[in-house]
Amino acid sequence: MILESDLLVIGGGLAGLVAGTIATESGASTILLRKGQSATAFSSGAIDIIGYLPDAAESISDPLEGLTAIAGLYPLHPYGVVGYGDDVAPEEVVDAIIGRVRDTVVWLKNHLQGTIASVMGDFNTNIYPITILGTTKPTCLVQETMNPGDVNKHEESVLLFAGITGYPDFNPSAAAKTYLEDRMALGQPPHKIGHCMTQLMPFRKCFNISSIEIARHLDHAGSIETLAKQLEPHVKQIGATHVAIPPVLGFRHALKNKRELEKSIGAEVFELLGFPPSIPGLRLQRALEEVYTKAGGKMLVGHEATSYTKTGQKIKTVVARSPRREISIDTKAVVLATGKYIGGGIAGDEKGLRETVFDIMTVTADYHSAKDILPSKATNRLEISPMGQQLQWCGLSIDPQFRPIREDGLEWADNVFAAGAVLAGYNYSVEKSGLGVALTSGYSAAKSAIKCIKGGGEN
Amino acid sequence: MTDSEFDVVVIGGGSTGTAVARDCAIRGLKTLLLERDDIASATVGTCAGMISSGLKYSDEPDIMAMCSKEVMHFNHIARHIIMKNPILAPLLDLSDAASDSSYVDSYSAHAEEREVPSMLFLTPEASREIEPMLNPDIIASVYYEEFFIDPFRLCMLQTLDAIKHGATVRTYCEVIGFDISNNNDIQGVVFYNRVTGTTEKINTKLVINATGPWAHKVAKLSGENLDIRLNKGAHVILDRRVVNVGITVKAIDGRWIYLFPHENTTLLGTTALDTWEDPDSLVASFDEIEYLLQSIQTVLPSIREARIIRTMAGIRPLVPEWKRPEGKVTRGYRIIDHSENGGVKGLISFTGGKLVMCRHMAEAATDLVCKKLGNTAACMTHKQALPGNDADVDVSALSKEYGIALHALERMRARRGTEMLKVLELTKEYPEWKTTICTCEPVIEAEIRYAIREEFPQTLNDLRRRLRLGTGPCQGTFCTFKAAAILSDELDLGGDDFLVDILDFRAERWKGIRQSMRGEQLAQEELTLGMYTCVANLDQSDVDYDIKPWEEGS
Ligand SMILES: Cc1cc2nc3c(=O)[nH]c(=O)nc-3n(C[C@H](O)[C@H](O)[C@H](O)COP(=O)(O)OP(=O)(O)OC[C@H]3O[C@@H](n4cnc5c(N)ncnc54)[C@H](O)[C@@H]3O)c2cc1C
Ligand SMILES: Cc1cc2nc3c(=O)[nH]c(=O)nc-3n(C[C@H](O)[C@H](O)[C@H](O)COP(=O)(O)OP(=O)(O)OC[C@H]3O[C@@H](n4cnc5c(N)ncnc54)[C@H](O)[C@@H]3O)c2cc1C
Repeated sequence: MILESDLLVIGGGLAGLVAGTIATESGASTILLRKGQSATAFSSGAIDIIGYLPDAAESISDPLEGLTAIAGLYPLHPYGVVGYGDDVAPEEVVDAIIGRVRDTVVWLKNHLQGTIASVMGDFNTNIYPITILGTTKPTCLVQETMNPGDVNKHEESVLLFAGITGYPDFNPSAAAKTYLEDRMALGQPPHKIGHCMTQLMPFRKCFNISSIEIARHLDHAGSIETLAKQLEPHVKQIGATHVAIPPVLGFRHALKNKRELEKSIGAEVFELLGFPPSIPGLRLQRALEEVYTKAGGKMLVGHEATSYTKTGQKIKTVVARSPRREISIDTKAVVLATGKYIGGGIAGDEKGLRETVFDIMTVTADYHSAKDILPSKATNRLEISPMGQQLQWCGLSIDPQFRPIREDGLEWADNVFAAGAVLAGYNYSVEKSGLGVALTSGYSAAKSAIKCIKGGGEN
Repeated sequence: MTDSEFDVVVIGGGSTGTAVARDCAIRGLKTLLLERDDIASATVGTCAGMISSGLKYSDEPDIMAMCSKEVMHFNHIARHIIMKNPILAPLLDLSDAASDSSYVDSYSAHAEEREVPSMLFLTPEASREIEPMLNPDIIASVYYEEFFIDPFRLCMLQTLDAIKHGATVRTYCEVIGFDISNNNDIQGVVFYNRVTGTTEKINTKLVINATGPWAHKVAKLSGENLDIRLNKGAHVILDRRVVNVGITVKAIDGRWIYLFPHENTTLLGTTALDTWEDPDSLVASFDEIEYLLQSIQTVLPSIREARIIRTMAGIRPLVPEWKRPEGKVTRGYRIIDHSENGGVKGLISFTGGKLVMCRHMAEAATDLVCKKLGNTAACMTHKQALPGNDADVDVSALSKEYGIALHALERMRARRGTEMLKVLELTKEYPEWKTTICTCEPVIEAEIRYAIREEFPQTLNDLRRRLRLGTGPCQGTFCTFKAAAILSDELDLGGDDFLVDILDFRAERWKGIRQSMRGEQLAQEELTLGMYTCVANLDQSDVDYDIKPWEEGS
């Protein structure tokens, strides 16, 4: 089968779906390939812009401060690259970066409005939501179901952590202790924190209950009332003003469920930031897919880009394979948004790191070729530290239009643009910048791609 | 005798020390076992667990005979933690077989008593029927069978049995000195309690130094010199049982290496390098990993497609025979009574030995101790079963009765034998504890709670040794935080300790993962970092985390 499109997006995580939506909305016909799962669906659903500079101990209180620092210290960071447009004067670089990231945040908020992953938060400030371990992390936007309200500001607030018996991913007692110790050390509210268990028994199971089962269960009419009844006495007992629950409030009706719960128990309810299998991550993934297809984009799930033809400096055709068929896609431009190791955009073995679709040069944190680098050599002795793992910095090096470059510093192709975790130059785990970079780079790569498509046959 | 006075103090909670403590306790001696870390936290935990027929030592017939007897004893006292693996040694050319063919006879001489067939030669076709991954170019293969024991459970069961017979066991207590009289008699042992941070002292006249690769250091605390040959061995661990049977092959340098299905994983080992490194910071090197892969690749060409999940490295405490390769050093052991050469009186040290002979080593040392103390009790360690060995367990019936997956129960049985019934009993009151916490192994919550209550773990790493928690393909990505919460619950830990437990466990897993990072492990690690760093923000937590020995430096 042969298909044609103006733009081919390879990769269906946040970066690819944003790029695809922007292109479609600008009138370009777009096909998007997603071969499998995305890191986006594993994410906690909170949209980080920038929380820390690498190896720094203090968190960044707002994205403006963080982006300004990055522009100065890490000009090759994907956020930094945004400031290198032809039309940007040197003294305008910082403003250009901030402006672009702000635009994309507004764009995303608007597009997620009314979806199952609608978000709240403000580009001008970072917030510190609580995780299922009772720790906190700086992020910029959270889904509305995860809105912790004024729990950490109001002197009189009383927080109740509520778990679900037989669901092992969240232990309210451990989380309560961790969070309370943290708040006490800071001398900040809430000063009173409790924990409790509820019996939900989704599908009559009392053990081995997964987040997906609970979310499905709570999507059924009436189930939320059981949870409310279970919570009520505990809320009363400690006089809770806020209730923190694991992120399982439902796929379709999470926000409605939150509101219903709040009404019946008389306390604010919010979901914690959690681990995979992550319901908010899945909500985000699904919502973005809906946004893209509603805009008119075409999506081929279960299709993997496997080969291509290139004429001169241009990609002409990409071949995609699914278990049952092979499709040739003729395209004017490509956005490569294949993610890192989870997505599958970058792979590594004892010989080195390679980009998996086009075999474009990969680089290390220092922008040396990572072609021959043994993955274990790009790691630290400490697994979990603010220094992070070098491997997470590795990926593609790009020009100011987000086109990947080769060893000689020239573009690998004139019509290939890259976005998201496949890029080098940032480490989302330590910076807390994952979905933010995917968003800004996806948006920026799409803008460049549109220019390239509209520019037509010039080069 | 008071609480601070013992007939004998055993230092070291590896296979040797726990076997000695058990023997001493059964013979009625007031026994104290001191271990600076956890039971089975050092060498024994890095070994392959083969209780071998002694095949490799055919030029030491006494040792072959002893190994074979010990296998029979283990099959009698600990059959629930033993597995039998058929093994193929594929031959690519005749020189692979011809060099030392006497092993066929010596192996077969003892085969019957271990209830295994004599050694067989198989055609390439018959070999490939057993293991289709074998290189089609092989000219024949040798077939034999060996037994394997879970080294962690063996040490644990020996310890629990010692306690049952009255021994005191103190983990996280490091011996730092001896009290020695003017007559050069040992009078006491001084140790540092790593949990409380205090120094304690107890009185004893007899000390058994079973500290494996630390034996010379511990002897030195009493002023004694002990010669020992330390030899590093590394394993590469694959994510599942990638072969049907064990494979042994001559490595590129002519040594024998192996690939053994081991619990839910496969072990590829091992290397042999004389070493002077600190056992605490030891890791496998890139060369060791490649040496093993290159060598096994000759007979299993597709081995690199398998997923490597980690490496592990340990130090063999060999008898000090020098100027010969590791493979030619005796596999026997030595018991050194330091008083015999005019040294300190009351200190007895081991060098050499193997996991397979730990009971034998213990018997010999306890005999010596009893002689000194005038105790005439006979050794019973080969007759009395270890906990859980008493009867067969019908796991499929239990699976139906409790509604727990058969595989989970089969794995539990392999750790606990009949003792698993006590674990299952807990689920009657708490059905939610049937929840699987470690899905790779798998391990259910009830067993974690049971182990915390009955087997004195202090950390998640201690739990891993008792349960194989976090040892599968995901290397604890998905169970670390869940198990930490349970531990925190049971031990009533504070929030900081909860996070420190998570960080400690990740650090230990990373030590082994890091060296062999490639392929799917890269995605696995991105996921781990996504969870513990990106979401939980633990890289920024300001808890009291102690840097581990292997984390020092840059
Ligand atoms: C556990 C975890 C939690 C996280 N939590 C957060 C968080 O709370 N906040 C935050 O901001 N960030 C978080 N992140 C980081 C964030 O999820 C990622 O940085 C971000 O999702 C990357 O998006 P992406 O679109 O670049 O890549 P991905 O989401 O990985 O998407 C890549 C896509 O490419 C597809 N693909 C790859 N190769 C091909 C091919 N050849 N053909 C077709 N398709 C292909 C894949 O199937 C996939 O759909 C987290 C990450 C992890 C692992
Ligand atoms: C790679 C490898 C593979 C092997 N494979 C096999 C095999 O398949 N079959 C087999 O039979 N043998 C095998 N062996 C050999 C076997 O593992 C060892 O000989 C045996 O387990 C050593 O046990 P141990 O108790 O003497 O030493 P260890 O297990 O090292 O125990 C010594 C203990 O002493 C403690 N200690 C040290 N100093 C102090 C102190 N000051 N105070 C308190 N405690 C202290 C340590 O913490 C440690 O726990 C293998 C060895 C290696 C390295």
